[in-house]
Amino acid sequence: MDDEPLICLPGQRLCLCDKTYTSGQGTYERQGYIYSQLAGYVDIVEKDGVKIVEVHSSGEQTVVPAQGDIVTAQISIITQAYAKCFIKCVGDTVLRRPFRAIIRKEDVRATEKDRVEIYKSFRPGDIVLGRVLPITEAHVYQLTTAENELGVVIAHSERGHPMVPISWTEMQCSKTFIKEQRKVAKVLPEKISKDFMQSSK
Amino acid sequence: MAEQYKSLHPVKYYRDYLSHNIRPDGRVFDTFRPVILNTGSIDTADGSALSKLGQTTVVCGIKAELCKPKAESPNKGFVVPNLDLPPLCSPKFRPGPPSDQAQVLSQLINDIIENSQCIDLTDLCIFPDKLAWCLYIDFICLDFDGSVVDACIIALVGALKTVKLPFVDYDAALDNIQVNLENTRPLPVHSIPVSTTFAIFDDKIILADPTVEEENLCTGIIVIVLKDDELCCVHKPGGSPLSSDELLGCIEKSKKKVPLMRDLLKTALQDVG
Amino acid sequence: MPIDHKRINGPEDTLPYQLFTKLNRKSLEQKYKELVQDGKRHDSRAPLEHRKIFMKTGVVSQAKGSAYIEVEKTKVMVSVFDPREIPNRQDYSLKGEIYCEFKFAPFSCEKRRLHQLDAEEKQYSQIMKKALEATVCRHEFPNFQVDIYALVLHNDGSALSAAITAAGLALSHAGVPMYDLITSATLGIQKDTILIDPTTIEERICRTPFWKEKEDNEHGLVVLSMLHTHNQVAQFYQSGSISLDKLPHLIETLEKACADTIPVIQQCLVKHVIKTIKKSSNVIEV
Repeated sequence: MDDEPLICLPGQRLCLCDKTYTSGQGTYERQGYIYSQLAGYVDIVEKDGVKIVEVHSSGEQTVVPAQGDIVTAQISIITQAYAKCFIKCVGDTVLRRPFRAIIRKEDVRATEKDRVEIYKSFRPGDIVLGRVLPITEAHVYQLTTAENELGVVIAHSERGHPMVPISWTEMQCSKTFIKEQRKVAKVLPEKISKDFMQSSK
Repeated sequence: MAEQYKSLHPVKYYRDYLSHNIRPDGRVFDTFRPVILNTGSIDTADGSALSKLGQTTVVCGIKAELCKPKAESPNKGFVVPNLDLPPLCSPKFRPGPPSDQAQVLSQLINDIIENSQCIDLTDLCIFPDKLAWCLYIDFICLDFDGSVVDACIIALVGALKTVKLPFVDYDAALDNIQVNLENTRPLPVHSIPVSTTFAIFDDKIILADPTVEEENLCTGIIVIVLKDDELCCVHKPGGSPLSSDELLGCIEKSKKKVPLMRDLLKTALQDVG
Repeated sequence: MPIDHKRINGPEDTLPYQLFTKLNRKSLEQKYKELVQDGKRHDSRAPLEHRKIFMKTGVVSQAKGSAYIEVEKTKVMVSVFDPREIPNRQDYSLKGEIYCEFKFAPFSCEKRRLHQLDAEEKQYSQIMKKALEATVCRHEFPNFQVDIYALVLHNDGSALSAAITAAGLALSHAGVPMYDLITSATLGIQKDTILIDPTTIEERICRTPFWKEKEDNEHGLVVLSMLHTHNQVAQFYQSGSISLDKLPHLIETLEKACADTIPVIQQCLVKHVIKTIKKSSNVIEV
């Protein structure tokens, strides 16, 4: 932050809403003006010649997972048809309260969908990267891991030791060298994964 | 990145810290958090105190009412302590009747009051078999960040010390009660209980004055209550087994807290005058 | 009353000692006269003067947002939690919901309050919920619920408006999207006397209908909440009997009182924003 940030409060009128300025995140439009929704600082992003007025909350933001977001989830229960999990992070933001979600058998991987078996893909306790699917049912989020970059990122073997990925379907225990099957995510270096996260928005 | 790690692997996150002999909040294993005590700030209560233990905040208010003593103990009054863990203080709690945790802790506080004999119930009697005081001691947790019992006991002593009961004139022949508000007397407090909570992490590391995160991850909790130099209550609900040496070590550590609390109380009550 | 098995119970019936004091029972007429003497109230305020307000954010570490308000003796804490899934919900709602709970601490009033929510507390919870629904952008979190809990630690009148003002501050502190800042004020009326921000004693006098037989039997309490920028009324609650002619004047007075509270909220929030910005920029530097 080089110059003083412009602080605003909820309900504060920021500017006229016209062809050059549009209302973005953390703001709303009413009767031709842009107002702030949050207590935070103003940020103006230029995109295709239009200035998008955004307000960023100073503390952690109140986020709920939205369609297309990359989320980090922990598997809680597996059945033959689906795996239940809790969403712990949305993008880089850690949630204070986890949200329930499920990964259906059809959404585990992109190829050979009919031969997927949940227990060969996830186990309870695994940490999974997934993408939020459009909400069809009222109360539960659906995730997909049918992309190379999505799937299990952290897992422990049956003995409780951390495992390392050895192929896109297998992980190996670091102590006992026992191999277990998982839908493994291709973990990208941080720089690329950031771009990847951004592109997904 | 640390925050994500903490959320996904809390136990490992703690182990990493503890292996370097330090806790994530910067304390070493046996340091206590700073304590703040404020007394007598609520004048609708007959005695009140607010205690802060790090972030943990408990407010204690005492209301005195009149009642008839029990037939089996005609010269004793009543003390009714209740701890409320409202949904306000932590997302863990839901609205509705008290949770199991609140019930257990209320009972524990009741036991501590009884065992430490800080209040002599006969002091609460006004006229044997006819009239006595009933002290409703309500604790409300405002911020739930671990070691709640410790904060409650500090607030309890602070509140008891500020209680002023009005003088009651009871005419047994006419069954007439006359309360004189101008003439009040303080409640005698006979001892100062001091409670200390320890968390047992991974069956061997003992952390003094745990935060709520530490309480959630640990494998056992032990509460030790001392009264001056005597032991008056030990509460260890299950969890990891503890060797007798370790237990004695905990008691030894909690002894250090007794003079600190006494000084704190002295300064807090001086402010009120 | 059934026994509450989940709490420690005292003897069956206990009586507050205040009942047996030698009250110098004043006539109602006398009490009314003492309400305002020489243009001053019993705490030496002018009739339309609000008490001093102190506010603080971030008092509950476990909550997403929290606020504490002190209007001299009246003390209220409010905490706000992250949106959560609505339990046992079958249908999908496009707008998020607000759950409000307004509670008096057992020792906060002259008479001891019970632990369960009583009718008055339930009513206040409902009023608070309605007031806050007007300012929260509920379309931003469809199918979720935001929990707001208010606890009165010490009641010396006007606790409801203090709770609404503090809840607005806590919501903003929690980063819940809001249309506007909300403030609230209470007014008491008895005959010709209008009192802003009444204390418990004044509230009690304003509540009682003194001159039942006369026509100008005006008495009661009015609570009004305002949205600041848009100058809209978010909530209006009135009890007692007030003539329609007087109402515009009362609303005007309350609007002014609400507007006067705004700078305190703004100052508090700006302070919080600056603090967090400083903190996050420090982290980056390190």
